[in-house]
Amino acid sequence: MLRCTALALSVFLLLAVPTKLQSSSVFPYNYKIEVLENGLKIVSIPLNNPNIISYYTIVRSGSRNEIEPGKSGFAHFFEHMMFKGTKQVPRPAYDEFLTELGAGTNGFTTDDFTCYFVVFAGRNNLEKVVRTEADRFINLYYDEEMIKTEAPVIEGEYYSSVSNPDRRLSELLRDTAYEKHSYKHTTLGYLKDIQDMPNQFEYSQLYKKRFYAPDNSILLVVGDFDHSRLMSLVKKYYSGWEKSNYILQTPVEPPQTKPKRAHYAWPTQTLARLAIAFHGPAYSDEVGDKASLNLLAATSFSPSSPLFQRLVNEEQKCQSLGAGFNDTRDPSLLVLNAVVKKDDDLPDVEAEILKELERIKNEPVSADILADIKSNMKYSMADALGTTDGVAGTLAFYINLTADPGTLNKLFDLYEKVTPKDIQETAKKYFVSANSTVVTLTGGKAK
Amino acid sequence: MRGIQKMILLGLVSIGLLIMGVSCRKENPNALTSELLPIDGNPLTSFRILLKIGSANDPTGKEGLCQLTWSMLASGGSKALTIKEITKQFYPMAASLSLSMDKEMAVFMGTIHKDNLEKYYGVLKDMLLNPGFREDDFNRIKTNQLNFLEKTLVNNMDEQFGKEMLNLMLHEGHPYGHYEAGTADSVKNLTLDDVKSFYKEYFVQGNIIVGLAGGYPPDFPAKIMADFGKLPASFTPRLSLPKPHIPLGLEVVIADKQTPATAISMGFPVSLTKADKDFFALWIAGSHFGEHRQHVSLLFQKIREERGQNYGDYAYIEHFVQGRDKFPALNRDRPQQYFSIWIRPLANSNRHFVIRQALLELKKLVEEGISEERFRLVRTYLLNYTKLYAQTLSERLGWQMDSRYYGYQDFLADVQNALPKLTREDVNRAIKKYLNFENVCIAVITQDAESLKSDLVANTPSPVKYANPNMPKAVLDEDTVIQVFPLDVKAEKVRTAPAAEFFQKGGIPR
Repeated sequence: MLRCTALALSVFLLLAVPTKLQSSSVFPYNYKIEVLENGLKIVSIPLNNPNIISYYTIVRSGSRNEIEPGKSGFAHFFEHMMFKGTKQVPRPAYDEFLTELGAGTNGFTTDDFTCYFVVFAGRNNLEKVVRTEADRFINLYYDEEMIKTEAPVIEGEYYSSVSNPDRRLSELLRDTAYEKHSYKHTTLGYLKDIQDMPNQFEYSQLYKKRFYAPDNSILLVVGDFDHSRLMSLVKKYYSGWEKSNYILQTPVEPPQTKPKRAHYAWPTQTLARLAIAFHGPAYSDEVGDKASLNLLAATSFSPSSPLFQRLVNEEQKCQSLGAGFNDTRDPSLLVLNAVVKKDDDLPDVEAEILKELERIKNEPVSADILADIKSNMKYSMADALGTTDGVAGTLAFYINLTADPGTLNKLFDLYEKVTPKDIQETAKKYFVSANSTVVTLTGGKAK
Repeated sequence: MRGIQKMILLGLVSIGLLIMGVSCRKENPNALTSELLPIDGNPLTSFRILLKIGSANDPTGKEGLCQLTWSMLASGGSKALTIKEITKQFYPMAASLSLSMDKEMAVFMGTIHKDNLEKYYGVLKDMLLNPGFREDDFNRIKTNQLNFLEKTLVNNMDEQFGKEMLNLMLHEGHPYGHYEAGTADSVKNLTLDDVKSFYKEYFVQGNIIVGLAGGYPPDFPAKIMADFGKLPASFTPRLSLPKPHIPLGLEVVIADKQTPATAISMGFPVSLTKADKDFFALWIAGSHFGEHRQHVSLLFQKIREERGQNYGDYAYIEHFVQGRDKFPALNRDRPQQYFSIWIRPLANSNRHFVIRQALLELKKLVEEGISEERFRLVRTYLLNYTKLYAQTLSERLGWQMDSRYYGYQDFLADVQNALPKLTREDVNRAIKKYLNFENVCIAVITQDAESLKSDLVANTPSPVKYANPNMPKAVLDEDTVIQVFPLDVKAEKVRTAPAAEFFQKGGIPR
């Protein structure tokens, strides 16, 4: 029997996803970019959906910025300190403000940036949010004791995934593959550095001065607001934020000259893990290497690829198989990973992945497969951009890279231009033995 | 011929109802039901095909069969297409069919752009109505389920392990008393014939609600109803559930493993669901005490913010095992619920202290209730926060289906209506009625279980050493109370077992 219900929840209207998807319209919303005199960039995307606003502050500082020895994990640690309040709005008052607002709020740290978001209902609340967020970024206050109390929370966060072998694999992979670049460690950082965080009050002040500045930050506001109203509020509350003018010199990773390999013996039972990585390029919406590699990843390692079908569904050697080619500001790793059901199959799976990389160098991808991949990317992106917070959450990652939402359409235009020949050429350029790092993890016996 | 007539009749009735835009209730339990949320002009359509059958329907000795069967539908081939061919068709559409499982409910979900609606539905329909039940799919999915039980759950994800341990403790000898994935022993013995039989018995019209939301064509629901209307017209009566296990005193189970961090979950049954008028009052109490992953949580403030013990500490007034998302979870409806506290992993040295602290805070909540100031603050919080709850099409549809399950026209709208009418006294009355601090099941995963058992039974003082030598006096003063807070833990109420033995056989390892 049918049950038909009127739109009782009409307050939650969805965004207008494009009715016909074309590459140039993958990001279909109008946006404005303005820059204050102090360098703060504002990306404003008013939408027609009623009631919800996503207010994101993106500080372009992540693990990448942790260039000094002993400071791994500091960007993430500082993210925690950003919730300590100010003299005017101390922590309890800040918490009460967020509670009354009923906001979905948190922060996260990546290799390249730290993001703070406040997602809330009610356009009338916009000024309160702008005022309070501006205050916390300009006037953050904490003392040495607050640092000593917060630092163990990071250790707790480390503990929350201590039983997860994927985290250990990722730590080992980065540490083995990189020699100098700060992508060598994960965003959580090395445990020894985490345990030293209670003693890092002075460095935290230096870190704030360097990176928590308007010329290193972007405000991304999406949803139900008026652009001119937003800008008048932003000018009113953020103009007093002082520039940093700090120029970060990230260490340059020297070219890898010989293959590397490492293994981790997990103490208890687990499915085996394999990661094969190659140093790759940084994100670009102009140069085609990264776009070609992203398409290659889908061609050879997505669930629809012949290798995935064979290893996961037919031979069933792997529980999962995938490629993680992250878009990053500096050149980073192209990672192929597998969860392997039997330890004895690890060498076979490794050989199969390497064989696939050789094949892709010699056989052009068919036009049909390439069209399927591009289609998948467009529909996936349209789905991700289907809600207010979907727009903000997706865009945060791209805005970090270029500070311009237009990069999404430029990237998808670049995808359209990538040819099978381009994919072959980039495969030959990056997937060479001397540029590879293989990391494995196997479990012990049941205890 | 009769089938065709029935299809045509059903289609006409359906179209008629859609045109009229009326709400209609199911009268024949054997018949298929739908839940529709048409949004004209929206280019997306979301499907939620909900089964009122979950792991509680597993036959004894075949625990995990429901999950295996529904997984065969979501991740296996249809009669017409292998999983390889399905993946090939889904990929250009960025389409998928995902499965969410619970004790008395399972839901298949997917969202698709209108460019691909017909093609997607054609595949989905065959996956659910004409499953291939191939031997190679069965082997793959069963092996993955078994690996999860034997290797992953107890070795690689202690937070989830702890929550599922608590579920075992609360439901010993109860149809909810096994994990959805079953046990390693039971899954090993499952056969493809078991899967086929389970499908035949339970994938029937009366057990299914077809949920659709978005800009689908007007005649689309009738088409789906006609297709699903070919399933056998029968239904499975609701399970007659025994009473859940009410702990007598503090009952502790400790899983022993080599680990630097201790995971803790604790809880007890509560005799209410969203259908009860007290739900909203208790929700305010639960949000105040432990709102999921938000600063408003008192436990979060006390354990993490003031003391830096771990990454977070939360509480729930109904079943909730998700790490992310918002409380409550969608389409995991049950007639029996439980209250739980989730303490995220912390240093082994502080485990005894934090167990004491969580129970002491619970005691204060039960005895002192919520203050007027906090009541007003948290009520405002929930009124605003829940406005963020149904942002995607699929979420809206899920809420609509849950509203129906618990007897609301629109649950989220009722939140807006009900909360302003509540008083602090309502909340404190609900706290007294449903919560307690003396009869609690506690699940712990830690190293050297016997030493924790000794400390608990002997009420050994459990002082904490902080990295900050100048902790606020108020915190230290509280600590002097917490570290000796007496817990009435009887030795015979503490069970310990190696972690690797959990979920291998039924119940708590002996």
